Amino acid sequence: MFQRLDTAATPTRHVQVWLDGEPHRVAETLTVAAAVLQLRGWQGYRRHVDGTPRAPLCMMGVCQECLITIDGCANRQGCLEPVAEGMRIERQGGDIHDG
Amino acid sequence: MMAESRNADIAIVGAGPAGMAAAVTLADAGYRPTVFDMNAAPGGQIYRQLHAPQASDAVMGKDYRRGRELLDAFLQADIDHRPGSRVWWADNDASGTALGVLARGQTQRWQARQLILAGGAMERGWPFRGWQLPGVMNAGAAQILLKQGALVPSIPPVLAGSGPLLYLLAWQYLRAARPPALILDVAPARRYGEVLHQVHRAWLGRDYLLKGARLIGALKRAGVPIRQGITALEAEGDTAVERVRYRHKGRWHTQPSELLLTHFGVTPEPQLARSLGLEHVWHAGQQCFVPRRDATLAAGTNLWIAGDGGGIGGALNAEREGRLVALSLLENEQRTTAEQRREGQALLAARRRDLEARCLLERLFRLPESWLDDQSAETLVCRCESVSRGELDLAITQGGAGPNQLKAFTRCGMGPCQGRQCGESVTRLLAQRLGGTPDAVGYYHIRPPVHSITLGELAAREASRA
Ligand SMILES: Cc1cc2nc3c(=O)[nH]c(=O)nc-3n(C[C@H](O)[C@@H](O)[C@H](O)COP(=O)(O)OP(=O)(O)OC[C@H]3O[C@@H](n4cnc5c(N)ncnc54)[C@H](O)[C@@H]3O)c2cc1C
Ligand code: FES
Repeated sequence: MFQRLDTAATPTRHVQVWLDGEPHRVAETLTVAAAVLQLRGWQGYRRHVDGTPRAPLCMMGVCQECLITIDGCANRQGCLEPVAEGMRIERQGGDIHDG
Repeated sequence: MMAESRNADIAIVGAGPAGMAAAVTLADAGYRPTVFDMNAAPGGQIYRQLHAPQASDAVMGKDYRRGRELLDAFLQADIDHRPGSRVWWADNDASGTALGVLARGQTQRWQARQLILAGGAMERGWPFRGWQLPGVMNAGAAQILLKQGALVPSIPPVLAGSGPLLYLLAWQYLRAARPPALILDVAPARRYGEVLHQVHRAWLGRDYLLKGARLIGALKRAGVPIRQGITALEAEGDTAVERVRYRHKGRWHTQPSELLLTHFGVTPEPQLARSLGLEHVWHAGQQCFVPRRDATLAAGTNLWIAGDGGGIGGALNAEREGRLVALSLLENEQRTTAEQRREGQALLAARRRDLEARCLLERLFRLPESWLDDQSAETLVCRCESVSRGELDLAITQGGAGPNQLKAFTRCGMGPCQGRQCGESVTRLLAQRLGGTPDAVGYYHIRPPVHSITLGELAAREASRA
């Protein structure tokens, strides 16, 4: 998992997001993929069509390994979508997968 | 099918150092360029989140801070900056370039009289067994987490690969009191001695060398183990990484670890330039394709490429190239002053010296061209479609003679990343197997959309034009 340094440089507003149905507060500067890596790590992030587990690789829109369900829309590129207050995020690690 | 088009006199794709410098220079000359960038804030890769830094200066180092002046100039100038805008399509003809832009779930069509591509670089896709496992991430991606939200790994990671960014991240983690468990460097230790023998270049590149030596020195003093000259790397685990295996001095070693951060250099992000049909040439030193540009950094009529998207020169060079393309655009419009022409000459000279010095970095961090050959046959080359090196080899023996044929035979490169991760590996493999040069082998045909777009987004027009 990833942790936020407690010596962060700029005071940053946090927003509440729902990850797999649970409420969490995360820095508003994060993208969805970054928030998930902070809250849950890379395990269980998503499942590839071939059945293997996958997780974000590039965090900059190149690899498409960060696909995730955001506000009910599947296969969004999590590393390009900033988090927002009240956002619902569902990992695609179980039976929903891309394809 | 898209809403009526909007006009931009000058469009710039990318708000990294190159795009920001071009925009500021043009704004100073009285133009109001339109700058598209997919991120929420300007800065590009190096200066990501610099407007409200998350990790402290002490952690990030002074190269990050250095971008502040350019960023402030960009934020203060009269520029039509459009954050959160992905350019997913481009088509150019004599009258300019048409652009498809996706912003807030809606598609816009833009017509630009002049276009500057400043889309930057991406970390090179470099296959090794197990690189698709969760717990393997690019080192630059981990650095994005650090910039975006001061996020650091909760366990000491293994860092592996080659290139300055690997040591920079290791050093930043050290400064954050989270030193990595181990650094595995593909570059053999003797390379450092070898580059010093290129005396002229070593002198020009002394700042690069010193910077690197300082980072490595600090890591060694802190007791971070560094293995230089590793010749193989593997990630193993069931549903995620559990162990990292590597070969050093001819022997295999295993390091238990759940996080492996790798970096194998950066290459120009090719999609928009490729989809515009711009000619690319193999750069032997940079070990990648770069778009062909003339002495004014033009890649076509009313079309320029600045920064690492045109060839890897680093952040300062990107900024310099941003100013240069702005000046050559002004020159085209016959709007340059004598002073600007002198500035242009000075920038060109500085660029020449800097790129000469960077040859040193290319030598130092050179990757073995035969790497893919040494990987086991089940190593995935195309992660999106799960195509292995062995399957590609089979397709080659069955007559697959070019990248597009291999794509048709195996689906390699057909997935959603559109070959960004596997394209150059496929070129390399074909060049090795069939005995041609990368230029002769070529690359995938890239067609729009260059960013994934849903039917809904394509259909969603803007309710009213701004
Ligand atoms: C992950 C990563 C981290 C890096 N970190 C460092 C570092 O810490 N220090 C360092 O010296 N160098 C770093 N580099 C090297 C980097 O290439 C710098 O040299 C520098 O950022 C290059 O500047 P640029 O302006 O050419 O491109 P970038 O800074 O890469 O800026 C390009 C911008 O264009 C945007 N863009 C690209 N395509 C599109 C599109 N189709 N539509 C909309 N927007 C688009 C991107 O989102 C980005 O914001 C890093 C590179 C990577 C890939
Ligand atoms: S993590 Fe690579 S595209 Fe999102």
